[in-house]
Amino acid sequence: MLTCKEFDDFMVDYLEQDLPVWQKFMCWLHVKMCRECAGFVRDYHRAIKLGQKAYDAPGEPVPDSVPEELIKAALSHRKST
Amino acid sequence: MARATRVISQTKPRNADDASESGYLDGNDKELLACLRAGDDGCYEILVRRFGPQVLATAKRYLRSDADAADCFQDTFLAVFESIDKFEQRSTIATWLRGITINQCLMKIRAQGRRQEDSIEHLLPVFDEKGDRINSCTSKRSCGIGESIDTAQMKRLVRETILELPDTFRVMLLMRDIDGYSTKETAIILGISVTAAKTRLHRARTALGSLLKPEMERLKYHADV
Repeated sequence: MLTCKEFDDFMVDYLEQDLPVWQKFMCWLHVKMCRECAGFVRDYHRAIKLGQKAYDAPGEPVPDSVPEELIKAALSHRKST
Repeated sequence: MARATRVISQTKPRNADDASESGYLDGNDKELLACLRAGDDGCYEILVRRFGPQVLATAKRYLRSDADAADCFQDTFLAVFESIDKFEQRSTIATWLRGITINQCLMKIRAQGRRQEDSIEHLLPVFDEKGDRINSCTSKRSCGIGESIDTAQMKRLVRETILELPDTFRVMLLMRDIDGYSTKETAIILGISVTAAKTRLHRARTALGSLLKPEMERLKYHADV
């Protein structure tokens, strides 16, 4: 079985489904057998999801309004080029 | 650098607004693009007003100060004005603008020079000599209990925590997990190997998880994540 350190080395590839079948199986088995790593994977997923939620989808309307002087400055830059 | 600029300007992030981008340019985009290419001043104002909030929000994600974000806002629209004829219509205008904004942010971060960054080693997993994981309290923060927190507060807390990460890791995390570029695309844009990008991403996520874990426990946040 993989050690926790070896699993950690493979983790990004494992989560991106970027491992050969045998290594993928070894990682899966390690997570099933190791409570510490299972907890770590759970926290890791949670961090990714929280990060994504914190910004919502970038394409959605953004509540931040732009100061008028910033808009005017951008437009005046164009006229000066 | 030229290659990175091309990649970032023309790559369509996966998790962004894909559903609405299936045809890339909708009627509004096409109309606006034609008008911009005709050099109509009014259309440039529409562009800045329509997409300005998105550009500013993206700049604020990548840059630490509002002044830098404002500079980036100006630089982004200047770059857009100069390159509108080169827009190949392989994404929506919004996605194209986001790529240019991120590129401008990266240039600004690079121009500020590589400052001495804080180490995140204390936030990374520790293993014993047999390779077993050693659980340790990794956060520098003190822990209390019993506060409740709503979603808006949680979002703010997570954004502030991401801002605590050193630039190297924060940029990697934002590009890969928030703006939806693939690991390979991010590696090309940042000029590093895919292996280095994966290592950086793993460390960034791990550090964020370590910083957030005690906060989640302390604040009793039970959102569906």
